[in-house]
Amino acid sequence: MKTNQKKAWLFLAPTIIFVTFFSIYPILRAFVMSFQSGSLINMNWTGFSNYQYIFNDPEFLRAIKNTILYALISVPVALAISIMLAWFIFSRVKHKSFFETTFFMPYVTSTIAIGIVFRYIFNGEYGMLNFLLRALHLPAPNWIDDPAMSLTTIIIFGVWTSLAFNIVILMGALRNIDPNYYTIADMYGASGTEKFWRITMPQLVPTIAFLLTMNIIAAFKIYTSVYALFNGQAGVGNSATTAVFYIYNKFQIVGTPGVAMAATVVLFIIIMFVTFLQRKMMKKIGGR
Amino acid sequence: MKFSKKLTMATIATLALVGTAACSKSGSNSSSSSSEKIPSKITKQTTVVFWNAMPGVQGSTLRQLTNEFEKKNPKITIKLENQGTYNDLQAKINSTLQSPNNLPTITQAYPGWLWNAAQNKMLVDLTPYINNKNVGWGSAKASDIRSELLDGAKIKGTQYGIPFNKSIETLTYNKTMFKKYGIKKVPTTMEELKDVSETIYKKSNHKVVGAGFDSLSNYYTLGMKDEGVNFSDKINFTGATSKKVINFYADGIKKGYFRTAGSEHYLSGPFANEKVAMFVGTSAGEGFVKQGVGDKFTYDVAPRPGKYTLQQGTDIYMFNHASADQKAAAFKYIKFLVSKSSQIKWANATGYIPVNNAAIKSSEYKNNKSIKLPAKLEDAMKYLYSVPVAKNSNAAFQQLNTIQQNIYAAAQKGQNINSQIEAGKQKFDAAWKQ
Repeated sequence: MKTNQKKAWLFLAPTIIFVTFFSIYPILRAFVMSFQSGSLINMNWTGFSNYQYIFNDPEFLRAIKNTILYALISVPVALAISIMLAWFIFSRVKHKSFFETTFFMPYVTSTIAIGIVFRYIFNGEYGMLNFLLRALHLPAPNWIDDPAMSLTTIIIFGVWTSLAFNIVILMGALRNIDPNYYTIADMYGASGTEKFWRITMPQLVPTIAFLLTMNIIAAFKIYTSVYALFNGQAGVGNSATTAVFYIYNKFQIVGTPGVAMAATVVLFIIIMFVTFLQRKMMKKIGGR
Repeated sequence: MKFSKKLTMATIATLALVGTAACSKSGSNSSSSSSEKIPSKITKQTTVVFWNAMPGVQGSTLRQLTNEFEKKNPKITIKLENQGTYNDLQAKINSTLQSPNNLPTITQAYPGWLWNAAQNKMLVDLTPYINNKNVGWGSAKASDIRSELLDGAKIKGTQYGIPFNKSIETLTYNKTMFKKYGIKKVPTTMEELKDVSETIYKKSNHKVVGAGFDSLSNYYTLGMKDEGVNFSDKINFTGATSKKVINFYADGIKKGYFRTAGSEHYLSGPFANEKVAMFVGTSAGEGFVKQGVGDKFTYDVAPRPGKYTLQQGTDIYMFNHASADQKAAAFKYIKFLVSKSSQIKWANATGYIPVNNAAIKSSEYKNNKSIKLPAKLEDAMKYLYSVPVAKNSNAAFQQLNTIQQNIYAAAQKGQNINSQIEAGKQKFDAAWKQ
């Protein structure tokens, strides 16, 4: 027994060492740095002043607001659309694999490349989207260059990009549902909606819980799509700035790592809290 | 056991790695430069690492110049390391400052990026090198580098940098369009710029916007400078002068004869598509203008309207950790890069301005017909201004861009801009105080 345990430590050692130094140590270091000020070369203790600074900084509050709005809107919308599309492909479409591949394509394409293409689609003057909207006599807003539209644009883009992954995972889950359920339901004359709500949805709950957690965490860490869509900037007038953008800017450009790390700690706490809430909620729904 | 041995080795290696990373923090400031003797000759094989952010033609021209230098100085090897964009370079320098041994010998940089490094004595004061007869010129005057540019490469009064790839803001205008709408005089003041812009906007039936400014930070800083206010934390963003500068642009946007570059960052695109008749931007962008315009119309370059223009672009700075030989070799290389012949080649290929007077006045530069700037340069750079280097001045300068984007976006929608100016003041002051 004892020798066995020793061996286990041995095999775990590489992972433990790597996780300790490359995951746990950075988290602790970030936490320590959030109480220090000065440049990276000579940091000194300042207590809570970095936290005071960020909570008085309108830019930070805007970044957090944008991030939360983005996560709360884009994730549920994307998930609802994905479930709809996945169910549609699963139940009514022939040549499933073709559509599955099509929907998965965005996932294997670089976000930067997609972002650049979308920048042209969304362009207020000569973009494809506005061309269509004008043809339909709908208002054609300036998606990219109007600060009031930036967040909407990012949300639309975010919904679109997260569809790919969601649909593929949901298709897998749908295939795993025992077809006998549907056969029996048909025997008793259940309608399509009944089958969906009574059989499909309950069976999908664990998968949806997983997707929700992954999507929310990813949404809180949004950076690349903003960078690509707005040409390296957080939207005109920083209107689409996000938490990660704020952290990067304070750390690398402004050169106040303490402030950046204070923001990191706040973001870390928010993500942890949201994930915790979500797990509780999902346990309640799933354990019914 | 064999396997456990390997594991232990791996563990030790990892620990050592972490250990060195931790140690390097304390190992800074090992040498102090000022007392060091400058070797008069490089006798040993010496390698100089040069971090830069020069893409495309700029990068290949730098490579050519470097090859030429290495041929003349076989004992010296220059390792050019491209770090991507200016932002990438700045981020890389910032994060490498904590392990000074990984810093290059020399780097391109704006002085504002290196304020912290200068505070921590990580840079080499270049004055002894400039005054040295063997590696330098003997005196700053003998270098023939324009004094405003040299002053722009100082941090807190110390000459840490030597200007290298410098540009100024100029006015680029559509000559064909000027003729079409009967405009005889190229604007030299901001008032004239406004009048001409209005005329073009009206005569083109609101199809062509008169003018725009690529960099809003530059627009504000120079607008204030022309009003006699220097860029500093003393600026009252909601004050009368500040509002006058902002309203001048905002009014134009409201009425349609001015515009901003928006998320495209540069107006050379809309200019080439004849959507805007003239724009104020960096002289280093002429290559892009020329390429975009092609044979569609003729363009020309004029001095920036108003008295002052901003000198932009990076200088070369040297880090303290290098050996005496490396420093001397690096300075020889810098001296070569800013020499008359190198600067003429550099400026003719890239659109940057030559940093020394002899190159500016040389016929090889002035008679360069492939770009428009050289003929106008002497006039265009009579009054040069550079952003003063102070704690957080770089952050505040960049913040001006976002603040104004918000203000002008409100102006574009016909909203009242006063609340945006108020919000801007808060952000501007916060940027100075972090």
